[in-house]
Amino acid sequence: MSERNEHGQSHEDVAPDHALVGLEDTPHTGEAVEPDGTFVEPHSEDFAHAEQAPENPEWFKRAVFYEVLVRAFADSDGDGTGDLRGLADKLDYLEWLGVDCLWLPPFYASPLRDGGYDISDFRAVLPEFGTVDDFVHLLEEAHSRGIRVITDLVLNHTSDAHPWFQASRQDPDGPYGDFYVWSDDDSAYSDARIIFVDTESSNWTYDPVRGQFYWHRFFSHQPDLNFENPAVREAMLDVLRFWLEIGIDGFRLDAVPYLFEEEGTNCENLPRTHEYLKEVRATVDREFPGRVLLAEANQWPADVVEYFGDPEVGGDECHMAFHFPLMPRIFMAVRRESRFPISEILAQTPAIPDGTQWGIFLRNHDELTLEMVTDDERDYMYREYAKDPRMKANIGIRRRLAPLLENDRNQLELFTAMLLSLPGSPVLYYGDEIGMGDNIWLGDRDAVRTPMQWSPDRNAGFSRSDPGRVYLPPIMDPTYGYEAINVEAQQGSDASLLNWTRRMIAVRREHPAFAEGEFVDLGGSNPSVLAYERIWRRPDGELDVVLCINNLSRFPQPVELNLGEHQGRVPVELTGRVRFPRIGELPYLLTLPGHGFYWFQLVESDDDGERRSMA
Amino acid sequence: MSELIDQVAAALPEWLPTQRWFGGKDREITAVRPLASTTILEGDPLLVHLVVEVEQDDRSESYQLLIGRRDEQVPDVPASASIPGTDGLVYEASGDADLTCQLLDLIAGGESIGDLRFESEPGAELDTGLRGHPISSEQSNTSLVYGSQYILKLFRKLTPGTNKDLLLHRALREVGSEHMADPLGSISGRLGDDVVTFGMLQRFMPDAADGWVMATTSVRDFMADTSGLPPEELGGDFAGEAYRLGRAVADVHADLARALGTEEADATQLEQTVEAMLQRLDRVVGDVPDLAQHTDGLAAAFRAVSDVPTPITVQPVHGDLHLGQVLRTLQGWLLLDFEGEPAASSAERAALRSPLRDVAGMLRSFDYAAQQLLVGLPEDEEQSERAAAWADRNRSAFCDGYAKAAGHDPRDSAVLLRAFELDKAVYEVSYEHANRRDWLVVPLTSITRLMTEGS
Repeated sequence: MSERNEHGQSHEDVAPDHALVGLEDTPHTGEAVEPDGTFVEPHSEDFAHAEQAPENPEWFKRAVFYEVLVRAFADSDGDGTGDLRGLADKLDYLEWLGVDCLWLPPFYASPLRDGGYDISDFRAVLPEFGTVDDFVHLLEEAHSRGIRVITDLVLNHTSDAHPWFQASRQDPDGPYGDFYVWSDDDSAYSDARIIFVDTESSNWTYDPVRGQFYWHRFFSHQPDLNFENPAVREAMLDVLRFWLEIGIDGFRLDAVPYLFEEEGTNCENLPRTHEYLKEVRATVDREFPGRVLLAEANQWPADVVEYFGDPEVGGDECHMAFHFPLMPRIFMAVRRESRFPISEILAQTPAIPDGTQWGIFLRNHDELTLEMVTDDERDYMYREYAKDPRMKANIGIRRRLAPLLENDRNQLELFTAMLLSLPGSPVLYYGDEIGMGDNIWLGDRDAVRTPMQWSPDRNAGFSRSDPGRVYLPPIMDPTYGYEAINVEAQQGSDASLLNWTRRMIAVRREHPAFAEGEFVDLGGSNPSVLAYERIWRRPDGELDVVLCINNLSRFPQPVELNLGEHQGRVPVELTGRVRFPRIGELPYLLTLPGHGFYWFQLVESDDDGERRSMA
Repeated sequence: MSELIDQVAAALPEWLPTQRWFGGKDREITAVRPLASTTILEGDPLLVHLVVEVEQDDRSESYQLLIGRRDEQVPDVPASASIPGTDGLVYEASGDADLTCQLLDLIAGGESIGDLRFESEPGAELDTGLRGHPISSEQSNTSLVYGSQYILKLFRKLTPGTNKDLLLHRALREVGSEHMADPLGSISGRLGDDVVTFGMLQRFMPDAADGWVMATTSVRDFMADTSGLPPEELGGDFAGEAYRLGRAVADVHADLARALGTEEADATQLEQTVEAMLQRLDRVVGDVPDLAQHTDGLAAAFRAVSDVPTPITVQPVHGDLHLGQVLRTLQGWLLLDFEGEPAASSAERAALRSPLRDVAGMLRSFDYAAQQLLVGLPEDEEQSERAAAWADRNRSAFCDGYAKAAGHDPRDSAVLLRAFELDKAVYEVSYEHANRRDWLVVPLTSITRLMTEGS
């Protein structure tokens, strides 16, 4: 008989999977325990494996990503919540739009106290989303359309409901006793900042069951895994293997800077963290070539490039990383009518290894992230974009793109054009392609997580359930409501934002320069005009030069561009193939309407301006 | 050759006043005499460097010209460059890239031709073979941009001695100043018995936008807004930039002091300054009756300087600082053109000045930026107040930035700063009266405001 703790429970009283909800009928971690105390966990052999998408090891460099919340996209079974089968049913739409890769935020088993980033079993699907078999079905359907799928994986921590944590707190000497960072007091690592300042007062929380403090960089219900423990490092590699064997195309690794702790440091970006990422990458390359790792490291670019690894070998950590500071500066630049906020951050962005790519975005499921702006700039962004205090959350602003831009079509197009042409693979956020609105009166971050608006039908065509059952009400206001803004209506209108976005994605696809070309900021004497070239050497040795010119001002602007290097070439506008006057020795004069932009290809003058992609 | 020079000299009295950079448009030219000519390129096309003395009654100034002549091909230059009354195609050649490409290559090669010396600055490695094109915004000089890399400023009106612009740039480089464009080379020669600087080559900043354009972008945004919100609440707020600009100007002052030293001005020198300001006031009031109502107040503001405790620290300063003389690059603000006021005599330009002169110049410039959209429009009190609000915010931010970097706040020297600003405004009144009557309202409004605030 084991010793009783203060809750009157004994170790034997509580099954390790007791905190998992709804997984009784499905394989899950901790449903059985080996004699040595280790858990039986599901294996990929227990499930079907999806066929792979066509081979192309560097696919991610040119891909257009689409972030989609499973919960919010389509409900196949009428329970009011989107699910994996519902998403699979909408793949034709995503293929039509031109999406190359879906990014799904976590769909794992979870108590959902942090939008699923509190994972209680890495090897089970959240029951309301479906099963692992449903995920295999989604992968099959996506791959057959040439669409890849990546998902979030939180390496840093688990939910406190995870059987590992339950075992760890109850049995310090058992196989999971050392899986988390435990301490007798809360004094260690005091230089590490508290990230969720609104809700947490310390990075340590006392656990009465074990009688010790545990370390957590995020919410107190998300204990950090102890990466000093080789068993943890191997267990997390096995989690990756599980999904990669099933056929997933990669992971966005959540909260990577925080894996290791070290006294006297801020416990971010430590060398041992990089060491482990190299081990993860080597494992992926060896066992699953062509799958990608995307780092979520909300840090300055100079620190983020470390997550690409050694440039000598083309990068040996993550294939991709999000460029966080760019996004708020795009907003700032347009509000200031000045290119400097964008030009500066790109000038401060170091070169990245050959085999890597940035991920860039305008909006995602989190707030407009303001961690990576200076205090000055943060105040500014608040003033500009969060006039209603409810729009602030943590240190970000929770709005969708269209309401942030006051539903101004010109600005929506300008922002999207920059997203598709600045260096990096663009990540679209579901619904922004039709200009969906938000609902700031919903709690937490739900303002931007309302159901996808498919049609003017009941529940926006998202679900056939009783409207009261839908997980969040669809947007219903007169401007952004689903009767006005929906996929069906916009597909039928050639002038819609949706069709415009689709055409721009198609133009981008024709010119690998947008994806892989060298970025050259052209500067110029008009600070309201951001002009840059993307220069790409085609396999035949010829240059594909794309010229992008953006008027950040609401007023018409002239710009004189120094294009002397391209003397004799002819700018061909990429959406209509109109040839502009030949480039001479003197500065090239263009005028742009308010918030206007141009995409040109600079072709040799004897060239008739045929499409010159030929990757 | 001498025949060509004579023909050109004979044609210049007609031609010079048509050129923007010519500084003597106020009087008839009584004579033009060639002082020196150097053939840079022989044959066809021909390129000659020419220095002429322009006589206008009792005033005589020296100017630099590049003369081109082509027999075969018509040069690609504007019609205004062509010098009439000469045989063949003879023209001012600074706009002829086929010919001016020589200048950069000569500097890179460290060549001498006759008395002309082409030199690169120590440590400068120059790319050659680039073609130069004149920039259009230049007023009193001519600048050629070579391949987005270098800018060669050709000083039109020549003053004996090494040019102040070049001297100060060299001094700033010596102390590693971050707020200037590196000097890379020079063209020098002789003017009578003196050395003279004909040109200065600097790093060109293709990513830069000038401060005037930056500031007026913000003003444009602010004035177009219909919400009635103050400037700090609107997207185009410029105060952050004004603050950083203030820091940059203070840094440059500190760099100049470190490189070239400071001096103490005593009460006698201060009195001379007061006297100069009063004289200017007298002169301008005579020309511009609108100013008369402020005469007493202005004179009192200038006389108050006599009571400022001496000594006052003086040092080399920019001398003609305004938003058009600063560049915003991706790395921050740069100062340009350390020549001083174009209209000032070389003695005035060389004199040590209080750094507050530069601060005053910049404060005046913020007023200009704020009010420029109102010029020529019917008076609108609400818009004038908005313009004043923009100016106030950015003038304060500039001073805050200056104070932060300098360790002392220019506003603490209120009497001097106010006098210098008013003196500058009086100069502007005279300038606008002579050149742009529409704009007279800008300095007059500022003077009214400063007088009201000061009383």
